[in-house]
Amino acid sequence: MQFSRNWLKEFVDLNISDEELCDQLTMLGLEVDNYKNYHSKLTGKDAIIKLDLTPNRGDCYSLLGVAREIAALNNLTVKFPKIKKVNSSVKSPIKVTVCDEAPRYVGRYLTGVNLKKKTSPLIKERLKLSDIKVIDPIVDITNYVLLELGQPLHAFDANKIEGNLEVRFAKEREKITLLDENKLKLDKNCLVIADESKPVALAGIMGGFETGISSKTLSIYLESAFFKPEVIRGRARKFSLQTDASTRFERGVDFELQTLAIERASLLIHESIGGEFSPVQEFSKRSSIPKNKDIALNFKNVNKILGTEFSKPFIRRNLKSLGLVNSQSTGESIKVKVPSWRFDLKIEADLIEEIARLVGYNNLPHRPLSKKINNPVDSLHNSVRNSFKFMGYNEVITYSFIDESFAELVEPKKGQLIFVNNPISENMNIMRPSLLPGLLDTLSYNLNQGNENLKIFEIGTVFQKGKNHKINQKELIGGLISGIKDKDNWSSSNEPMDFFDLKGDLENVLSNSSKYNFKKTEIPYLHPGKTALLLKGESVIGYIGSVKPKLLDKFDIEQEVNFFEISIDATSSKSNIKFEKFSRFPFAQRDLSFIVDEDIASSVITDSIASRAGDKLKEIKLFDVYKGKGIPKGKTSLTYALGWQASNRTLKDKEIDEIIEKLVAFLSKKFNAKLRS
Amino acid sequence: MNISSLSKKSKSKLQKAKDLRALESSYTDLLGKNGEINLLLKSLGKLPQEKRKNSGKALNELKSSLEAIFQSRRNHLKEKIFSEELKRDSLDVTLPGRTRESGTLHPVTSTIIEISNFFVSMGFDIRSGPEAESEYYNFEALNIPEDHPAKDMHDTFYLDNGVLLRTHTSPVQIRTMEKQDPPIRIISPGRVYRKDSDLTHTPMFHMIEGLVLEENASFSVLKGMLKDFINDFFGNQTELRFRPSYFPFTEPSAEVDIKWKKGWLEILGCGMVHPNVLEMSGINSKKYSGFAFGLGPERMAMLKYNIPDLRSFFENDLRFLKQFK
Repeated sequence: MQFSRNWLKEFVDLNISDEELCDQLTMLGLEVDNYKNYHSKLTGKDAIIKLDLTPNRGDCYSLLGVAREIAALNNLTVKFPKIKKVNSSVKSPIKVTVCDEAPRYVGRYLTGVNLKKKTSPLIKERLKLSDIKVIDPIVDITNYVLLELGQPLHAFDANKIEGNLEVRFAKEREKITLLDENKLKLDKNCLVIADESKPVALAGIMGGFETGISSKTLSIYLESAFFKPEVIRGRARKFSLQTDASTRFERGVDFELQTLAIERASLLIHESIGGEFSPVQEFSKRSSIPKNKDIALNFKNVNKILGTEFSKPFIRRNLKSLGLVNSQSTGESIKVKVPSWRFDLKIEADLIEEIARLVGYNNLPHRPLSKKINNPVDSLHNSVRNSFKFMGYNEVITYSFIDESFAELVEPKKGQLIFVNNPISENMNIMRPSLLPGLLDTLSYNLNQGNENLKIFEIGTVFQKGKNHKINQKELIGGLISGIKDKDNWSSSNEPMDFFDLKGDLENVLSNSSKYNFKKTEIPYLHPGKTALLLKGESVIGYIGSVKPKLLDKFDIEQEVNFFEISIDATSSKSNIKFEKFSRFPFAQRDLSFIVDEDIASSVITDSIASRAGDKLKEIKLFDVYKGKGIPKGKTSLTYALGWQASNRTLKDKEIDEIIEKLVAFLSKKFNAKLRS
Repeated sequence: MNISSLSKKSKSKLQKAKDLRALESSYTDLLGKNGEINLLLKSLGKLPQEKRKNSGKALNELKSSLEAIFQSRRNHLKEKIFSEELKRDSLDVTLPGRTRESGTLHPVTSTIIEISNFFVSMGFDIRSGPEAESEYYNFEALNIPEDHPAKDMHDTFYLDNGVLLRTHTSPVQIRTMEKQDPPIRIISPGRVYRKDSDLTHTPMFHMIEGLVLEENASFSVLKGMLKDFINDFFGNQTELRFRPSYFPFTEPSAEVDIKWKKGWLEILGCGMVHPNVLEMSGINSKKYSGFAFGLGPERMAMLKYNIPDLRSFFENDLRFLKQFK
């Protein structure tokens, strides 16, 4: 809603500066979006005010509505524009049948108009200042009255209407061409104005092309109707046709305004282009016209909700200045009648807001929130985030929707993917099934920017089809490393970051939570020999691996990338540490190297040693893995540091030797492992 | 024999020894078993008693004073060696320490954490909920009817079967009210989605919404709490104002602006929870009242860190991210 300040002044006597006026409007909830000085040749110094209205205030899409608010705040009275009845001299050939959804339709027939005349300069200027196109005197005047009073009007070329008019729902697939030459196929939910052969207007939204007026028009049928908001709502949006009329009708037009508006328009038309007028015709379905609602207000509730101590007369006075007239009152509460233009006032809370608005939100007190202690839980996963941060990772946030071609790389079964039906762009049409594509995309972007060494992680939801067409949503943490290790460090060894760099970091984070283990696996988009599942007990909580070059190609990445993705819940841990007494007797330490087949997982050997080295074994550490010179082909040497300790005595060498002897025999038998001397 | 010339000569010999080796060898020459002094002492027997006594005394005095000089010289030379060794071993202490360079949290995350910390300290619990939501939790239960113009404010992404991407985190409030009786104090940070993309909108962004449902939860308390929050986040001098607005799920509704540079800048929306919303979630609106608020961490971060372009948050350029140490 945009208008000239001088125009507003015709509706209310304003003696305040423009700055104060704008401030008042904004603080009433009619936010001033823009304010500009304007010099008018007709009215002198003026200003253009643009309001950003909220959808509940349909009544403020007019100067009258804005004036009412300003008048209420400043204890002024609203002045209506001049309305002098235009005498009738002809009879209207048209009758209108109304319905429940259009319970009041006021019409007027006029003939002998001259549309070649020009619109008056003042109307022209004001329409322009309201950002409305100037067309011809009739359209301009209907728009002018729309801005003045908030009542949309429509002018039909009366000679093109066949017979009488009816307001009804469209028939299935009925067609209409609108004034903007847009051809629509209608359905049973669309309310139309129809003559005896065709729809002539999409009610409350736009008139039809065929019955539209032109410079050749001689007779006009003027419409000033009340359509219920619920039959207009959604229709304009459905056809992408937001018009000045639909904006007002879907928010609610004063249901008592129709006659006044047609009289006002008649006067302006008569003054500017003459013509002969029929009497004003009102067609209505009384029982369907909305009633002025009564709302009960309990005085105590006002103060309870607002946290104030307003007196009863004070509350009553404020309501009255907004036209909310006291209809009934008991000691503790009153009933007020809601004016016909306020569609937004329905319940007590709405009245409480009205009082607060008039008092001014800024004038209401500030009170402290009472103290309450709660149990802080790490719901935001701060501890995991910080762990990765201190290990040198940069947290990223990538879009939850990704390109279908990227999604297919990690989820080849198309049926498992979740599509966005109305994506913002074609390459954001899938809800990501994994964090990998987003992280690879981030890596690729950074490589292009010359940022070559990355350690990044993200916490976010992934989406996959579940049972019964449900969507599985899981919150995961995923991380990726690529490039040179500790590149920014002057003593860096310049080695590329590999699988174990990532695995070590992951283990670091997991060390707080309960037991987990890694198991070799294959995942289609990861290197078949460098991929492991992460298990907690029997359940899979995630995986880690080196990304296949084929996948990297899609992102134009040429360097090695290692990636992990695990359930965020798996990282949370309640500290369950219990102190264990440690022995002060000497520690017997031995280093042992075993030569085993290279395809035996080291964890298998480690587990075997742990279970076969007796209950005094306190430490087992794999500290060297070696292949090459001195080791037969196809074999690996694993070197362990083992430590034994008793709680109550010093262990004898002989005991340890015996344990080792048995251990070696066992490993030799089971895995063909040889002790390396 | 002239003891005084011997004393002078030998003292100087020890005092001037260049290094430990020269010192040790001079020591042996002078004070060793067969050293000059011992030989002299041995030769005293040939002298008359009176002279022997005097010379013996003088020689012994010389011996202990040379012993002391030797010790002191030796300490000195050792000290010199140590300090030279340390000198050779020195570092360029201005080189950076050998540590893994620390990473960073995303500025949106840091902002969410900072905001959450304030509310957690006021007794709020943090709750989360699904991002793919039902029409009911995202709209209906929040008093936003189908076709209402208010829905225009939430251009929505739809998935299959009427499931949508939540346009705010208010559904978390509904889910909480369904499960928990008042008193309730919660905040729900998370990702939200709206079909909008330009300089100041991205189709995905974050929101933190809060709900307080308890006795005495009035508009004045809402004002007091948000004023404290804004002063905590932006500093005590920050001027703010409450302006009437409209949200289908609150009544009265307000927006909060802060004075920023020369004008007012909207930073959050809030209001008293609409009785319809309470009733739909099974809360007796006659007994309980409550307030809710919602704000965008991206916007807060842009103001706080002086970030000009919203889109840089999701570009994840390392040169951007690394600035938020």
